[in-house]
Amino acid sequence: MKWLDQLVEGRARSLAKRTSRRSMVGYLGALLVGAATVPLLPVARGATPPAPDPKAKKVDDPTSCDYWRHCAIDGYLCGCCGGTQDTCPPGTQMSAVTWVGTCHNPLDGKDYVISYNDCCGKATCGRCMCNRNERDTPLYIPFQSNDYNWCSGNGKANVPYHCSTARIVAAAK
Amino acid sequence: MSKVGMLLLACLSATAAAAEPAATVVTLPQLTPPHWIWVNDFVFPHMVSGKAILVDGDAGRFVGELNTGFGSMRVVPSLDGRVIYSPETYFSRGTRGERTDVISLYDPAHLSFISEIQIPPKRSSNLPMMANAQLTDDGRFLLVYNFNPGQSITVVDTQTRKFVAEIESSGCALIYPTGKRSFFSICADGALLNTVIDDTGKVKSSDRTEPVFDVEKDPVTEKAVRVGDTWYFVSFSGVMYPVKAEKGSLTVQPTWSLLSAEEKAAKWRPGGLQQLAVHTGMNRLYSIMHQGDLYTHKDPGREVWVYDLAKRARLQKISMQHDAGSIQVSRDAHPLMFSIFIESNVLDIYDATSGKFLRSVTDIGTTPTVLVSP
Repeated sequence: MKWLDQLVEGRARSLAKRTSRRSMVGYLGALLVGAATVPLLPVARGATPPAPDPKAKKVDDPTSCDYWRHCAIDGYLCGCCGGTQDTCPPGTQMSAVTWVGTCHNPLDGKDYVISYNDCCGKATCGRCMCNRNERDTPLYIPFQSNDYNWCSGNGKANVPYHCSTARIVAAAK
Repeated sequence: MSKVGMLLLACLSATAAAAEPAATVVTLPQLTPPHWIWVNDFVFPHMVSGKAILVDGDAGRFVGELNTGFGSMRVVPSLDGRVIYSPETYFSRGTRGERTDVISLYDPAHLSFISEIQIPPKRSSNLPMMANAQLTDDGRFLLVYNFNPGQSITVVDTQTRKFVAEIESSGCALIYPTGKRSFFSICADGALLNTVIDDTGKVKSSDRTEPVFDVEKDPVTEKAVRVGDTWYFVSFSGVMYPVKAEKGSLTVQPTWSLLSAEEKAAKWRPGGLQQLAVHTGMNRLYSIMHQGDLYTHKDPGREVWVYDLAKRARLQKISMQHDAGSIQVSRDAHPLMFSIFIESNVLDIYDATSGKFLRSVTDIGTTPTVLVSP
């Protein structure tokens, strides 16, 4: 029953990650990622985020849920699915619209605006599920919500969701 | 006759005596019993294969299932219990090809397909919420939230079984019915979009309130529950916002907290995918609670706190057998409370009045989302 053990272990790990939130500083904005333009509309949010945890692990592995860029991701990590943290796997399409987060990089101590473009057009990858919700908002604030399938309305691919990237857009100011 | 022949004859006779009736298929009650529950399954690792599973809460028995297509949302039983509506999405070649969105109609007695109503291929694909699809109070119109990423609401006439309208809801999401021909949506700035439709399903009026929720400091979740004319929204920090629909207008009643100062200091807060449930007869509210920081609003909890809505006072704390991410309470006079978590597939069943744990049902789906009472 190795598969069952792996399933249970994976879920336990995931839950552990979900219950030990790390901090995030900065701003979130509505982001529309077109073919060549990245109009960023940063919006300061009023709630005070938790202070950065000095004991936070400095994880530099893009296939780890603890990787700093993944502070507001919800889905399968493209780095585990044939792509990377900023490229889609072969044969998929990158979503034209997405949600963004601002994540703190403990390696250089700076904050970055991260665009979580979904990769679309194939069945769900099923590897490296990761859900972290720092600055995530409910569905009625769409461009800061990670609960949407951002492959929606994405040209030829339209809805099928495969995995999620975590692209650096800019340093947060 | 040889000994072998006699033995063979004896065996055949024995077989004939024990023969079962011709193979057949189970038929269910026409009206689904109140202690049965629909467990909607997003099947995230295989999104093309969504399903809704029917479980008998008294017997702890898997009753049957519906197959509900890509990015399965949730089933919507008709008010008279005679039909099950299911907003569904399909692609002509599995994960590619032409996208078709439909409302599928199923027969509750046979869990069989009756017919379908084609709707615009815009149905929102998101982590399922109850507010993604709702019936008007008389059951006449089925409303479905669209996101592509333009926002609108599809209106289906269940009487004629036809798509009748698409209502723009730009900047506002989801559906909270307030009457036979009215509902509201929540807007990104915390305002409410109050929509009234006519008897053909077309917009009669559409008014936007001033912002009623503080989306900056402490947003409410979209996982509200309803008792009568009031929808109960809870914020990330556990403040309850009752939104009352009266004489065509929406007003926020005085807010109250689910938490005492000590509990708040101890970082208790509500969380989960379907974090609230109500029992109208007892006027009780159930909330999944956990201890965590800000932005743990989707985390499951090991406790469910029960409140008297009239007194705005807590009655009870229920310790959960497993992590609870979604809860639902049956509508009858001796209600059950159901609990499940998207990262598990064990359905736990409790007496909703006493809080006593009754039984678990294992292996219910893959990534179960919202629980729907018939």
